[in-house]
Amino acid sequence: MTGRVIVITSGKGGVGKTTTNANIGTALARAGNKVVMIDTDLGLRNLDLLLGLENRIVYTIVDVVEERCKLKQALVKDKKNPNLCLLAAAQTRDKTAVTEEQLKDICEKLQKDFDFILVDCPAGIEQGFQNAVAGASEAIVVTTPEMSAVRDADRIIGLLEAKEEIKSYKLLINRVRPNLIKSNDMMSVEDVVEILSAELIGIIPEDTGIITSTNKGEPIVNDDKSLAGMAYRNVAQRIMGEDVPFLNLEEETSVVAKVKKFFSNLIGKEK
Amino acid sequence: MSENILKELCNRLLSLFKQTETKEENAKDVACNRLRVVLMQDRTNLTPELLQRMRKELVELLSKYVEMDKDALELNFDQEGDQMALMLSIPVIRAKDEEEIEKALAKADEKEAEEDDASDEEIGEREEANEAEDDEETSEENDETEEDNSEEVTEEEPEIVEAEEEEKPKKKEDKE
Repeated sequence: MTGRVIVITSGKGGVGKTTTNANIGTALARAGNKVVMIDTDLGLRNLDLLLGLENRIVYTIVDVVEERCKLKQALVKDKKNPNLCLLAAAQTRDKTAVTEEQLKDICEKLQKDFDFILVDCPAGIEQGFQNAVAGASEAIVVTTPEMSAVRDADRIIGLLEAKEEIKSYKLLINRVRPNLIKSNDMMSVEDVVEILSAELIGIIPEDTGIITSTNKGEPIVNDDKSLAGMAYRNVAQRIMGEDVPFLNLEEETSVVAKVKKFFSNLIGKEK
Repeated sequence: MSENILKELCNRLLSLFKQTETKEENAKDVACNRLRVVLMQDRTNLTPELLQRMRKELVELLSKYVEMDKDALELNFDQEGDQMALMLSIPVIRAKDEEEIEKALAKADEKEAEEDDASDEEIGEREEANEAEDDEETSEENDETEEDNSEEVTEEEPEIVEAEEEEKPKKKEDKE
């Protein structure tokens, strides 16, 4: 088999690349795919934390490149899902420890054994980005409805379009806050899509559950009640080629608004 | 009780008006518009210096024909779909009459001629020396000038200037 290599990138830091990677990876594995995630953020690794695998790492991607271990030895299996693996970044080295060629080579080898190879890209547009993109043929650009994140995403899209190996890229809008959009205080999903003129693959609502799930080292897709988790599971299904409608986040808030209105009316009447 | 209700009603009405007043300039629209402008600049690869130069040159060109408020010049990029447009907005102070326009044009022509003369003088000396050879090889050399240029670039800087300007007089000769 030849697996699909998807790089998850954003340009700006802190928009949720690693969270997206952990959740999409977990959701794809839950759906029965063999998935490996590669953390290419050398020196600033975090994907292991989000998956709760930080204590299981023996070898890293640098050990593989410098031939201290075999590629298979460096793959850390997920606690719950045997279909899910992590190739961790080295924490003690910098971006120069792995080259574009070496990363490409690792991706090619992993394609034989996995359905999906998700590459977690570091922030920025320097060598770390170039390395992460080197082996991929698809990209997911993560952004939030904030000006700086959208601007950086536009830069990244420009760079991706210049790369021949990247056959398609899609936009994932994270941390959407329907309340703020409704009150016209935040750019809407439609605004961002129009400005970047890119195809959308996911809309993830802001969810405080993300913080607790990160603290527990348990991706939020495993929480069946969470709205963000549902949104991530939908993204995974879209990646697998299924046609899943986007969550209607506005309806959700209008229900809350209705309830609020109802109660405020009640209180008003009592007076 | 009824006073309270009246007060609240008044407040609500007031807040309604406030909302409608501020609606035009909400944070979302401001963000969208600022982003559009900034992205256009990002996508053109024009540095602030280049943009400044473009403005200057545009002002120079246009002030030959109309008198305008140079400081109020607005230069923006706009996008509709895949098409990018350059939007230039300059308040016109006064239309120039024919005489003034002719004067400005004549002045510009003079300036151009001066610049040409200056470059011709530089080449003049060299041409005299090479005249005999040039006559024989004009057709061949024209084909080779590009290659020659690239070779000379790597050697010495002063020669580049000469090599680039060499092309101009020759084209004139050809036309004649």
